[in-house]
Amino acid sequence: MNPLTQSIISGTMSGAVYALLAVGLVLAFHTSRVVNLAHGESFAVGGLTAAALSEAGQPFYVYVPAAIGASILFLLAIERLLLRPRRAWPTGSLILVTLAAAFLTRGVLQLIMGVDPLSFPRLFTGAPFRLAGGVLPQQGLALIAIGVLAAVSVTLFLLFTPLGHRLRAVAENPDAAELLGVNVDRARALAFGIAGALGGLSAVLLVPLVSVDYQAGLGMTLRGFIAAALAGMAPSLAVLAGFGLGLSEALVTNYGGALLQDPIVFLALIGIAVWQSRNIAFGGTGRA
Amino acid sequence: MSTRSLVIATGICAALTGLAVTGWIPGLTPGTVCASALRALTLIGLNLIFGVVGMLAFGQAAFVALPAYIAGMLGHAGVPLAAALLLAPIVVVLLARGVAEIFIRLPGVYLAVGTLGFGMVVEGLARAFPAWTGGASGLVFEQGRSIGTGAWCAIALAALFLGAGSYAWYVRGAVWRRLRAIRHDELAASVLGIDVQREKIKVFTIGSAYSAVGGLLLFYYVGVIIPEDAGVVRSLEQIGTLLLGGAGFVAGPIIGSFLVDWLFVISGYAARYELVIYGAVFLLIVIYAPQGVCGLLVGPWQRLFGAGKAGVDTTGPVSRPPAAAKVSGDAGPCLSVHNVFQSFGGVQALTAVSFDVRSGEVFSLVGPNGAGKTTLFNIVSGVQRPTSGRVLLDGRDVTALPVHLRAAAIGRSFQTPRLVPELTVLSNVMLRVDQLFAELTEPERQVVALEQLDIFDLGSLAPHRVAEISLGQRKLLDIARAAVGNPSLVLLDEPAVGLTSAELEHLSRMIRKLSARGCAVVIVEHNIEFVSAIAERGIVLDSGKEIARGRVREIMAQESVRAAYFGALS
Repeated sequence: MNPLTQSIISGTMSGAVYALLAVGLVLAFHTSRVVNLAHGESFAVGGLTAAALSEAGQPFYVYVPAAIGASILFLLAIERLLLRPRRAWPTGSLILVTLAAAFLTRGVLQLIMGVDPLSFPRLFTGAPFRLAGGVLPQQGLALIAIGVLAAVSVTLFLLFTPLGHRLRAVAENPDAAELLGVNVDRARALAFGIAGALGGLSAVLLVPLVSVDYQAGLGMTLRGFIAAALAGMAPSLAVLAGFGLGLSEALVTNYGGALLQDPIVFLALIGIAVWQSRNIAFGGTGRA
Repeated sequence: MSTRSLVIATGICAALTGLAVTGWIPGLTPGTVCASALRALTLIGLNLIFGVVGMLAFGQAAFVALPAYIAGMLGHAGVPLAAALLLAPIVVVLLARGVAEIFIRLPGVYLAVGTLGFGMVVEGLARAFPAWTGGASGLVFEQGRSIGTGAWCAIALAALFLGAGSYAWYVRGAVWRRLRAIRHDELAASVLGIDVQREKIKVFTIGSAYSAVGGLLLFYYVGVIIPEDAGVVRSLEQIGTLLLGGAGFVAGPIIGSFLVDWLFVISGYAARYELVIYGAVFLLIVIYAPQGVCGLLVGPWQRLFGAGKAGVDTTGPVSRPPAAAKVSGDAGPCLSVHNVFQSFGGVQALTAVSFDVRSGEVFSLVGPNGAGKTTLFNIVSGVQRPTSGRVLLDGRDVTALPVHLRAAAIGRSFQTPRLVPELTVLSNVMLRVDQLFAELTEPERQVVALEQLDIFDLGSLAPHRVAEISLGQRKLLDIARAAVGNPSLVLLDEPAVGLTSAELEHLSRMIRKLSARGCAVVIVEHNIEFVSAIAERGIVLDSGKEIARGRVREIMAQESVRAAYFGALS
């Protein structure tokens, strides 16, 4: 087995997940101006729903849609119940609200699902592909293919369709968008719904290869945010940034050991922060 | 505020001592009082960073746990206890400063995610190297056990008293005003002359020092530290506890810490439900009672003991501050904007804009919305650096000078007044006085601020909170504040919008006074009648380009100007 090839393969797989998370995070950020710190919980909610239903003997055509549906409902609830009634609040307070929601979700998941990591059977079984000394399970290939397809189509939707333009108009100036006849609430709900679908999808595809537990959410938020920040919160670059983060994380883990994964991701964040600081408004008062 | 806060801190500590000794309240033993007091001490840091300034520090538990880990590991490596106890907080404070330097320049969410990530890293490292950190079973501190609970109680309460007292002493007067201004509006604060980044880095560093010292004492008392103590869940618990007590209040950390600890003791510690309870309480408080228990107590407290001293003591001789020296009008233009270009991405916001304004002159910038007027104000006041071109102020090139360093020479009012609503009118004016007359004492600065209000006929508003006065009054106040210290240049962004006719009169008087004092006034205004009456010269911008210049009355009559202007308005 060639460790380099293998780490590139696993990096591409996690890159697909980070791309999905980053696109969802950027989408929600652009319509609501809030970086949703409960975003990664949609991954945990979806993954644990699928695992619970699978354990209860349900077939994949039940637990896959149910999991994605649960993730969508989760982020819709965050938008509808927590953010929408507080549109006039300062961004900082709303970020705090989403953090509180993330922890409450984590607590509820712990109560319902316990603390043990759970998983469910792969959707795509069969002999793994072998290429250049690396192994790629069929589920992994599906993860990469479907992940790229979903993330890219959401990006294209945002960049090139009239509805996508309207979503971005909401982000730039909600009041003006409202005057132009865009329903801001519906646009935000749509954005959070799509973000939830992407989060659920990433859980359904990734969890069978690894596992998921009640505390998976914040780590996913962290990585999704890093990818999004790497892309400068631009939808067009989020997919690339996700894969970039996944690959570099896997390569460093390969050479430096798995224990260094969190510190390395954090170093990446520091690097991005230093790099972004150069672009910040002179006078140094960036807006959240 | 200082003495009152000290009285509060003393009272609380005395009450806690009584409770610990007598044991009247079930669950409050000397042992729990000691732990809660030390936990409260660690929360003072978070209160400063998050409660007062509103920085999103979501990994503060790491700064509480790290000094204990470092001191413990140094101890195991054979370093003498005293040296380890001294070294550990210093290392942690330096680390906190590093984290602050990296993330604070960026929008708040970077600090949020950066500190969350920092917490994850510290927790992960503590787990990853069990040979040094004791891994999941924790690092044990033997030394703490040798001191009795009574002595620990004395240490804890003394430390809490010193912590709360020094906090109250630091966060008062000008510092309090400045920090609340930063919390409320960083841009407005920097235009007032506050170095926002430096202040935030300072607050994060000082706050982390409280966290570090408190954490060191706490874990030496508890006797063991585990990786979770550094992690994100503990950080959440800290924020939840502080919010429950009352973020931004001196007593907030203390009330929160004792309340939470006591509730867990009497309800029987339920680890399984801990996360749910914290999450739910955190969410409910953030949404429904952002001021916490202290916020709920403040109303009744003020009814009982009076609403504090809103009035101002102006008795006694106070030396007048020297008036800022004015450069004479003959020395050349006061403001000179030279061939300024500004592009945002692909959009050209300003193209080859040049104009001069003399001292004592009222100069008008006219143009439809989106013409680039506010961008030009941002460039002149230093909020933004132009893509190319130069800005000269009193003959000096200030193009590269950061916004807070221009504040003494430039006063700026905003389209929507950017005042701090929770502070009084006087305190809002003092925000600028504090920056320009730092060498004066607090009472002297009060006199300067009051005189400023009197000059512009706003003296009667001084004791009112900004939240209580009308929009028109706020706009006039914003301008009066911008004129503190007789700056060479005053920038007024749509000052007439939303004013009643009486207030418009008032505004005209203010602008004439500014001009008579030798200030160059640049005014952006759509009310053509008003502008024509008050300004002599001006330029007209359309889509970032100059389309006319000259006497205001004449240029407003030009056909091209009317087309650009009224075409865009209609």
